[in-house]
Parts: sequence; C-alpha cells; structure tokens
Amino acid sequence: MTQDPAAPKRAAASGTDGGLENADIQGLVAAGYGRLPAARYLLLRVQNPVAARLWLGEIADRLTNAAAPVTHTGLNLAVTFAGLERLGLSAHTLGGFPPEFAEGMVTPHRSRMLGDTGASDPARWRWGSLTSRVDILLMLFASDEPTLADLEEATATDLAAAGLASVARLDTVDLGDREHFGFRDGIAQPVIEGFGRAATWRDSIKAGEFVLGYRNEYGRYAPRPAVAAGADPSGILPEDVEDSTVRDFGRNGTYLVFRQLSQDVAGFWQFAEREALASGQGSAEKLAAKIVGRWPSGAPLVRAPGSDDPSLGKLNDFDYGNEDPSGERCPVGAHVRRTNPRDSLDPSPGTDKSVTLVKRHRILRRGREYGAPLELNPTGSGRPPVDDGRERGLHFICLNANLRRQFEFVHGTWVASRKFAGLYDDADPLIASRGPGNDALTIPDQPFRHRILHLPQFVTVVGGAYFFMPGLRAVRFLASISRSGAQPGG
Amino acid sequence: MPHQIAFTAVATVKPESLDALRSTLREMAADPAGNRLIPFHKLNGVHFARFFLLEPTTDVDGRPIAGQLVFMADWDAPLEQRIQELAEVGTEGLSRLFSSCEGYASGGGEPGAAIQYLRRHAVSNAAVYVNTIGLSASQVIDEGRLRDALEDYLDQDPDLRSAGPGAVRRALVDRVASTAELSWAAQPADPPALAWKIRELAHLLLVPLIGVLLLPVIVVALPIWLVVLRLHEHADVALDSRPDPARVSELAALEDHGPVNQFTAAGFIKTGWFRSLTARLVLFLISYGVRHIFNRANLAGVKTIHFARWTFIDGGRRVIFASNYDGSLESYMDDFIDKVAWGLNAVFSNGQGYPATRWLLFGGARNETAFKNYLRAHQIPTQVWYASSSQLTALNIANNRQLRRGLRGAMSDEAASAWLRRL
Ligand code: HEM
Repeated sequence: MTQDPAAPKRAAASGTDGGLENADIQGLVAAGYGRLPAARYLLLRVQNPVAARLWLGEIADRLTNAAAPVTHTGLNLAVTFAGLERLGLSAHTLGGFPPEFAEGMVTPHRSRMLGDTGASDPARWRWGSLTSRVDILLMLFASDEPTLADLEEATATDLAAAGLASVARLDTVDLGDREHFGFRDGIAQPVIEGFGRAATWRDSIKAGEFVLGYRNEYGRYAPRPAVAAGADPSGILPEDVEDSTVRDFGRNGTYLVFRQLSQDVAGFWQFAEREALASGQGSAEKLAAKIVGRWPSGAPLVRAPGSDDPSLGKLNDFDYGNEDPSGERCPVGAHVRRTNPRDSLDPSPGTDKSVTLVKRHRILRRGREYGAPLELNPTGSGRPPVDDGRERGLHFICLNANLRRQFEFVHGTWVASRKFAGLYDDADPLIASRGPGNDALTIPDQPFRHRILHLPQFVTVVGGAYFFMPGLRAVRFLASISRSGAQPGG
Repeated sequence: MPHQIAFTAVATVKPESLDALRSTLREMAADPAGNRLIPFHKLNGVHFARFFLLEPTTDVDGRPIAGQLVFMADWDAPLEQRIQELAEVGTEGLSRLFSSCEGYASGGGEPGAAIQYLRRHAVSNAAVYVNTIGLSASQVIDEGRLRDALEDYLDQDPDLRSAGPGAVRRALVDRVASTAELSWAAQPADPPALAWKIRELAHLLLVPLIGVLLLPVIVVALPIWLVVLRLHEHADVALDSRPDPARVSELAALEDHGPVNQFTAAGFIKTGWFRSLTARLVLFLISYGVRHIFNRANLAGVKTIHFARWTFIDGGRRVIFASNYDGSLESYMDDFIDKVAWGLNAVFSNGQGYPATRWLLFGGARNETAFKNYLRAHQIPTQVWYASSSQLTALNIANNRQLRRGLRGAMSDEAASAWLRRL
C-alpha cells in the first residue's frame, strides 16, 4: 500500500499496519544504493531560515523515495535537532523528540557511554562538536562521478542563495564490497518487515524498529513528535496512528547516526603481523580475522575456523550460542559477534529467546568509505603496508527508530563496554577507543586463551551527529513553515 | 564469609540547613572513595554505600513532607562493627551531615553521637536482593586479585601452551599454593555464621508452613482481592509523564563513570488501603523469593544486579527502590522489561502513575516507553555513591569465585578445560 505523497490524503489511523508507505519514506531506508557507487555528503548550516526553507521546498520534490526505481541518482536529506530548530519547527513539536536526539551526540555523558574519549574526544572533532554545529545533511548518490557532479550542481551549488553554509563536504570512495582494512563489508543486515525481501526470522525486524509510525519489536509505536492539527492547515502531515487529534511529524522518518571514523590501516596490519610473529600463532590474517569475526573474504569464523574460505564469503545464516558457545572459533569480543550477538546472550544462549532480545538492538548500516585505499600487500611478499600519511576511513551511517535502544545500546553496551558478555577488559578490538583497562583482546583457544594486552587503537572518531531523516511529507511541512520564521500555533 | 546486610538510615533535614547539606554532599561527591569527610575506601566490609537527599515534597494528598537525608550501605555482618568503623573513619563527615538534620546532638568530634544517630534512624527494608548471599566484600576483592594473578601466570609461561588442560590447571594450582599472598585461595571461604544459617532455614520453612495454615483464609480472600485489584486497575490513571530533560541530564551526569552504576528512585503508593496492602504483600513475597530462591547470582535471568532493596518511608506512604547494577541504565531497563517485567509490575504498579497493568503482573513494564519514562521520572540523584569493587561486574565476580573453586580437588581433563575457559 503506497500513497501519493503529493496528495494531502491521510491514512486512516489504523491503516499503516497494512503496509509501509514507501513513497513517503526516504530511499536510503530501503536500500544503500549499491548500484550508485559515487556518493558525497554535504554537511550544511542554516544561515537564513527563510531562504533555506525555500531551498528545502525545491529539494523535497527531488528526494528519492523508497518506492521509486533507482537508476542514475539518489538524493536524501536529514536534519539535526538544531537544524529543525533553525528551520522554525515549533517548540511543541521539538519537545516530542526524545532527549538523546535533542541533546545530540556530544554530551559528556554520551561521550563516556559511546567511548568517545582520548583521541576520539569530540573536542577534537572536525564537525559535529559543540563548536562546529551541523544542521542539515544532504546525501548525494550517482552512477558515476560526472553524474554526481551534475546532481550537486542541481541541488547545492549556490549555497549562499539557499541560506546555507557548508560545514564539510565529504567525499566517498568505492572499494567494491571491501572496507579499508580489507574485509568484505555489508554482509549482515536486518531486513525490514514489509519491504518484501525474504529473510530469516532472526534478521526480519518489525518496521517500527527502523521507521516511525509502525509497530516495533515490542508491538508498540516509538515516541514521535506531534504537530497540532491547527498548525498544519493545508493538511500536509498524516494523522498520528494513535491520536487522531494530532498530526505526526515523525511518521515514515527515522534517526540517522553519522560518525566519521578514521582508520589506521597500516597500524592495523603492522600490529597483526607483529603479534602473529610474537605469539607464534598463525598468520597476521588469522589474528585480524579473530578481531573482526570474519575473514577478509567475509567467511564467518564460526564456519571457517582454520583458514579463509571465499566460498562462504557471503554466508550469514549461522549463530554463536549453539555453534561456538565459548568463542574458540569466533572470539566473544570480536567485532561482528558483539555488534550482533545473535543467539549468544543470557539468559538462555542458543535459544530463540536470546535472539528475540537481540532483535531489539539491531541497526541498519548505510555507510560508505572515504579516502584512497592503502595497498595492503605492497611488495607482494605478504609484508604489511607502511602508512602513506593520507587519511582514510568509514563514513559510518546507520538508521534506527530508537537511538537509545538501538545505536546507543549497540555502541555503548556492546562495542565500547569492556565487560561485554562476561569479559573483563576487552572493548571492541576493531573499532573501540582505548584507555587503561579496556585494551585487552582475549582469543579463546586450547588449552587456554591467548591474551593480547595494550591493543592499539585502529579507529578514531573525527566527526559525528545524530540526524532525523524525515518522511517526505514532513520535509514538505518543514519547507512550508510560515515566513514569519516560526510554525504557527504550537 | 559473613552474610551481607542492607542498612538504611533516614533523617529529617532541617529546612534551613538544606543548602548546607547539599554543599556537603557535593564536596563528598567529588571523590566518594577518598574524600576527607568520609573516606569510604578506608572502610572494610563495605560493598556499596550511598548518601542522597530526598527533596522536600508533598504527598498524594498534598501534605508537605520535609527533606530527608538517606544513607544506605550494603555491607558485611556484624552490623555493629560496620557502624562503629563508619563513625570512626567518617567522624567529621557524619557530624557535618547530621548537623543539618533534626535531633542530632553533636558529640564534639566523638564518633559516639553519630553511632547513636545512625542506630536511632535505622529503617528496616521491605525486601533486599543480594546477588550472592554470603560473599563478603573482602572476598570479592581477593578473588579479583587471584584472577589477575592466574591470568598473569598464563601469560608468563609460554611452555604451558604445549601441555594438556589438566597439566595447565595443576601448574596454576601449584603456582597459587607457592605464592604466599594467595595461599588463602586453596581453602574454601568460611561459610556464614551457623546461627544465621539456622535463622535463614527457619524462615525458609516457616513462611510456607504459615501459608499452608492460612490456606483457608487465602482461598476465600484471593478471589475478593483479585476482583478489587481489577477494579483498581480499571480506575487507576497511568501517567506517561516524560521526565524533565534538565533532570535527565542531571541524572546522566552521575552515570557510566565505570562498568557499575547506581539507581535510586522514590515513589508514592497510590491512595487507599488496598494498594498499601498489596505493595506490602508483594514485597513480602519478593523478599522471600530473593532470600531463598534467587540468591545465586541470577535474578530470574538478570545477572547484572549486585544489590537492590525496597524500603518504605514516610509511614508507608512512599517506597524507595535502590540498586547497584552493571552497564548502562538503558540496558538495565531493558533487562527489566525483557526478563522480570512481572516482578516489577507487581511492586511498582502500586505506585502512583505507573503504566497500566492487568492482573498485577501483565502489561505495565511491557509498555517500553511509558515504563522507561516512569523510572526516569521517579529517579533521584544519588549524590554520593561508593563502590568498593567498582571495576568488577557481577558476572566477573561470579566467574572469579568459580576460578577459586576450581583450584581445589581433582578434575578430569574436560572439567579442567572448562575451568580454563574462565580465564
Ligand atoms: C571503521 C569502522 C568499522 C569497520 C572497519 C567495520 C567493519 C565491519 C566488518 C568487516 C563487518 C563484517 C561484515 C558484515 O557483517 O557486514 C562489520 C559488521 C558489522 N558492524 Fe562494523 N565496522 C566499523 C564500525 C562499526 C560501527 C561504528 C558499528 C556500530 C555500532 C558497527 C556495527 C556493525 C554491525 C551491526 C555489523 C553486522 C554484524 C552482524 O550482523 O553479524 N560497525 N563491520
């Protein structure tokens, strides 16, 4: 059931469970635009709200929705809390957003929880810190670089005229299906129920976990910002699913987490080489695989414990609780095992009950790499690469309907916590910040574990923010806010 | 290995001294373990301790309630010794704190006055959860050191890698035995006092016995109670009150400074005798359950709570819930919702504004957003919080304990291998 977003026809209050309103949902929710390898992210600040709203009104018609076929370009847009405020959304509606979104990514408490400390301290960030506010994120995707340039030209050339200023212009690079460390990425993803793709029960997640206005894994609707009916006189917004007296600004929107993660590729492989030699245990590649939980080809350690097996490169139907409870194949602390523990957590590892709990903490990853790749085997001798002084990394992007229960939980309780699943001092070996007491890596083995102390830090956060990626009607509503600078009524 | 005691003391704050008290608490909060006023780290036998201020308020009928200072400790028997040591180590701090409270006769720098005051203001708890009954604070610390030593031995001795699991274990057992500072580990920890064990056993047996004797009454009363309960549940108002953002950030500022966290909340019981009675009954049952059934590092699937308690105050009008748990508040609340929603519903649904329940156990916490808002809205800042083993989660502590156990006796290769997986 899709609706024509141009018609201000409202779905019946209960009608949304019949299906997703694809035409009102931004396309990035449905797909990562794998067929559009060129991409750029524009981080913008609103200088002149009136001009910015006019620009937004023009952009709104060009935004890619989840019903449209993707051919040559894709365009999506998301706004921070500060941005919504700048664009004139009423205090009443803003007050309907949850505190984690309102506060943003860089409160001291949040930095502690996410592990954004030391080198990843927001005080050092290039963008998104308290002194480098971002309002709008414009995401451009295209089939090739010239088409991308055209798209940027058509949407964001004369920023000043649009009342906008550029905070950062982030390029991306297409590494095929690999990320910079050399591992296949983008294998495991939750599948949104209702988008029609087949998935195992474990990966099939209720739409309300990724799109507001639909039931989530608790069978409930996530909190969403309301607009008084009188404040939407032309009836742009849909009715709220649970309260027909108000309009729902949130419906078909989602929260977008953006973190710019700088990767020390040479440091990673030099460390792996050094450690593998020092311990006399296997190859650098094997140690690196123990850190990730998959081999470079993508083959999961649970199924390919001894060596890489490219034929299993896309395999995702495996679990830990039954197949590898103590982590002798895939360490408990490995990146993929802690970002999605599948069936391995208490109270009953190896059961559907365990999976059910984990299904409430899934995120949809939509990031892209940036920076020229480092040749991983420069001499052809298997010796690790040397740093070339150039920056590279991941523009990590993920989507979720509940920042606290999904992204922040995964990152805080699983990635950054050195106590994950009974561990002592092991934060995520691949991506966590290091500090005293959280820099160990335990690799279970016979007759006893290997333990690596003082793991270096391989990934540093250099920017980030929480955005809201509204439904298309909500974008039009934002653009329509009256010229006086504030939304009428409340 | 003495049993643990949950001590609570509540004192009324003199209205004119609220500010002075706040600033004393702030001074201590800057360094809970080492502060000059009460240097908690100098105390033995303390697992956790906290001081917090219940701000002046009004009850559900609009009657004013004065501000109150609450002290809570989870510490090891004997109680008298703990109070004594606290008063000696923290003479200055207690005297400063209690001088802001009603009825404190300053003892001129002597601990005696504080001891008296603590005893007089002690309040009994309605229910107390202890992760592992009989595990003393010093044992937690010692077994943590044991684990560190075992890990280091493994790292220092690469030759062990070529040995079988049984041989590796024997080598570790020998190392421990030959290390003077760890020789205690070869012996089991002392059990709690016999008198205490007998008392617990008597309680374990007597409560069901009395239940059986009361069966005729229960059979008659239960249906009536259920009907009245349903009537109340229909009439009760659930408040989905979003907590004040400024308040939430004040609370968050006190959280996630390490792997272990504190939680304190207070809420009024709904008006009328029925909810009061129900709250007391439920807490009585919970108390029985956690005392005799859920006392082995696992509270119905939740393994991250060190200690928790429910305490009636204000003549039974209000209940305080206080706990020490691992991980973030979000994960704690999710554990509640996912694993023990029924238990929380049974208690908290007697509280003003709780999300609607059905048959006491259903609904309620399962309404994720409303429940999380309810907890946040009732949470109060724990101004001073001390944890003696702040770097060990409950899972770590339980694992350390098993490591020590595994040092004793003979083991098959398979069992030795399983034991080694704990390292
Ligand atoms: C530069 C930083 C990062 C690198 C190099 C990286 C790399 C990888 C790789 C190689 C995989 C395995 C491929 C796959 O399953 O799709 C993976 C999976 C995953 N990563 Fe990351 N990652 C990074 C940051 C993050 C962050 C910040 C998060 C969020 C907390 C995250 C969450 C996940 C999740 C949820 C999975 C899928 C696990 C599963 O479902 O089995 N990653 N990552």
